[in-house]
Amino acid sequence: MMAGAEKIVEADNSEAIITRIEHKSRKIESLLKQNKPVEALKTALEGSPPVTRDERCKSANWIVVHRALMAIKNVEGMFSSLDPEYYDILMKYLYRGLSTGDRPTCDQCLRVHEKLTERAGLGCILRSLADTVNTV
Amino acid sequence: MAAVAVHQFAPCITCHAWSPDQSMVAFCPNNNEVHIYKLLQDKWEKVHVLQKHDQLVSGIDWSGTSNRIVSVSHDRNSYVWNQEGPEWVPTLVILRLNRAALCVQWSPKENKFAVGSGAKNVCICYYEGENNWWVSKVIRKKHNSSVTGVAWHPNNILLATTSTDGKCRVFSTFIKGVDARESKTGSSSDPKFGEQIVQLDLSSSWAFGVKWSPSGNTLAYVGHNSMIYFVDDVGPSPLAQNVAFRYLPLRDVLFVSEKMVIGVGYDCNPMVFAADKSGLWSFIRFLGERKESSSGPKSGSQFSEAFGKFYGQSRQGLSSDTVEPSKIQGAAHDNCINCIELLKQKGSKTKRFSTSGMDGKVVIWDLENQQDLKEYL
Repeated sequence: MMAGAEKIVEADNSEAIITRIEHKSRKIESLLKQNKPVEALKTALEGSPPVTRDERCKSANWIVVHRALMAIKNVEGMFSSLDPEYYDILMKYLYRGLSTGDRPTCDQCLRVHEKLTERAGLGCILRSLADTVNTV
Repeated sequence: MAAVAVHQFAPCITCHAWSPDQSMVAFCPNNNEVHIYKLLQDKWEKVHVLQKHDQLVSGIDWSGTSNRIVSVSHDRNSYVWNQEGPEWVPTLVILRLNRAALCVQWSPKENKFAVGSGAKNVCICYYEGENNWWVSKVIRKKHNSSVTGVAWHPNNILLATTSTDGKCRVFSTFIKGVDARESKTGSSSDPKFGEQIVQLDLSSSWAFGVKWSPSGNTLAYVGHNSMIYFVDDVGPSPLAQNVAFRYLPLRDVLFVSEKMVIGVGYDCNPMVFAADKSGLWSFIRFLGERKESSSGPKSGSQFSEAFGKFYGQSRQGLSSDTVEPSKIQGAAHDNCINCIELLKQKGSKTKRFSTSGMDGKVVIWDLENQQDLKEYL
């Protein structure tokens, strides 16, 4: 179960956010080369979603998450090393993936969705639907 | 078994309340009436039907000392019912609402009651002896959407509200002539009527079911995003805990003790939350019977079929029977529980409460034999 006190996060400007995402992207490529897809996904999900209304930033972050997500071959195994704090944000990105309609993306997202729902429960789905403020 | 009694009163119940001695229960069977049933020789008999409202009765509260029933309805009206002999006599309370009334609660001293409405305001009603009527004072500011829940602090002045704008707020309802002055120095330090003490912005989705702990130190409410919020030190710098859980959202909560809260909602099964020694709240377990299906989220067969179809596309050769339909065996409620009420007992510790829901059942629960929960009572 997750519990935490509320924090106020300052929203940066778009350039700073894009720079951070580019930095994340390089780190993710490096992790994938070292055959560490779960670490790559964690890196991608960290600091997500960007606290901004700028759609370019959100799309840039999605591209990075998508890259890491598609590299996961062993979905079941992924969950044994993915901390529960990532569940809610991962669920939001799964729905973004499903909304693309792209066959390979949707297949992967459905595979992960099934396992994530088993782990995190329906509450996780609810939170991804109900949060209209921190959208991905 | 924590559920000690189950009774099917109607196809659907919107809300319920108990008489002072708990021999009678009043509820709305999803229409414009309030039905009162009495337990006579092990059978529930309908003893009164209160017919005055034109539309759905959304809230009922029965005062424990003065034996008065207050009912509020989508017809924007509220009635206070007094028992005179064998009859219940209604008194109309003019709320001056232009939207439905959604919830109601008597204050601890029973000299006021609060009504939350779809008109984005809260009516505080008090009795004016001179004119022999109930007067409504409206808190018009602050709420951006319907007020779904109201809860009185034990001091009879502070009122907490939840709203579909996602926020929980605490107001002062101090009324000159009705409430005694707290400070001896004068009126300057008493908060004015309608003054907002604190606004809690913890939920990004609809908020429901706010309640205070017995001492008034802690506040709990739920969000429609499957979260429950616990707030200590309600004031300028509150200490909030957001507890996310894996199940469907809750609709109402009840403090059984300072350290234990029961939440009820769309999982049709009361959920126990408790605070450990350091004050950290977490989900303990479900109270009722529950058969967890191993292959996926528990659900009725319709739900499982939907999940089966959802995943069926990606299965490539695997049959979608792997998501088994599993019906909950032995569950007390089989539809959303939307109301939970305390059952007062002789003696100090609260152990019993009742729930009612969209399945039209009223279920009585007893924590007496729940050994693992005794430490929190």
